Amino acid sequence: MHLIIGGAYQGKLEYARERFGLMDEDISLCPDDREPDFSRCCLYHIERFVLFCLRNGRSPAEEIDKWRRTHSGGVIICEDIFCGVVPTDKETRIWREAVGRFMSWAAEQSEGVVRIFCGLPQVLK
Amino acid sequence: MTVLISGGVKNGKSYHAQRIAHRLAGDAPLYYIATMIPHDTEDEQRIARHISDREGWGFETIECPCDILRCFDSAKPEGVFLLDSTTALLSNEMFLNDGRINHAAAEKIAEELCVFAKNAGGLVIVSDSIYSDAIIYSDLTEEYRMGLAYIDRAIAKICDIVLEICCGTVVCHKGELKE
Repeated sequence: MHLIIGGAYQGKLEYARERFGLMDEDISLCPDDREPDFSRCCLYHIERFVLFCLRNGRSPAEEIDKWRRTHSGGVIICEDIFCGVVPTDKETRIWREAVGRFMSWAAEQSEGVVRIFCGLPQVLK
Repeated sequence: MTVLISGGVKNGKSYHAQRIAHRLAGDAPLYYIATMIPHDTEDEQRIARHISDREGWGFETIECPCDILRCFDSAKPEGVFLLDSTTALLSNEMFLNDGRINHAAAEKIAEELCVFAKNAGGLVIVSDSIYSDAIIYSDLTEEYRMGLAYIDRAIAKICDIVLEICCGTVVCHKGELKE
């Protein structure tokens, strides 16, 4: 499993496409109101899947653990929403923490972690 | 030589930008492109602080809140220019005085900065990292964020050096900073 992390609009997906040769049909854009297409090898905006799990009492780590068994070289792309000011809205606050915890778990499980800054990759692991 | 410097607010970006621009210039003219249009006393204090920070570095100030290529009307292109910041520049060009929005401002600025970089002896650009929080912004603020990131990425591509300043510490993302 590979992780790509970074702020909004930093070029995370573009980097993933180039580095892993991903096509449109490999990429699943995660919605926050239903499951993403788990048959695909790249989960984009995984932070929204974390929100879906939160709302439905599911564990994102358990779900992704299942997914990666069939996608050993899978790519997860996450927006680092956990760096700003503590949000006043309760759900946003809990979501932000859940993403932080999930990503720490995911990074531990991953063979590579890359952070994208202004379109440039910074290897973290 | 073109350098992009970004990072969080009040982390020391301007200080490092001034230092790097000063060193790049050597004996060449050194220009500071002032982009901020003060809207209140808070802005005025911010500007006063920046002006006193710049004292002694030998910068000549060019007031240029928009249409950045106009700097060449008065400045010598072989000089080294410090643009602080793209954040103010985009705000000036996108949110017009009469309330209208220029949706093409980000592309225009990115294009102009690439031309600027090609024609200037040196250019140091300061931007702001405003991309890592959980707040849901209004559509307009989101468009502004997207626009600023577009400019950042376009510049980063043509820059020799890209730096992130974190708590005054320099993280080099592209090129090599020779101290």
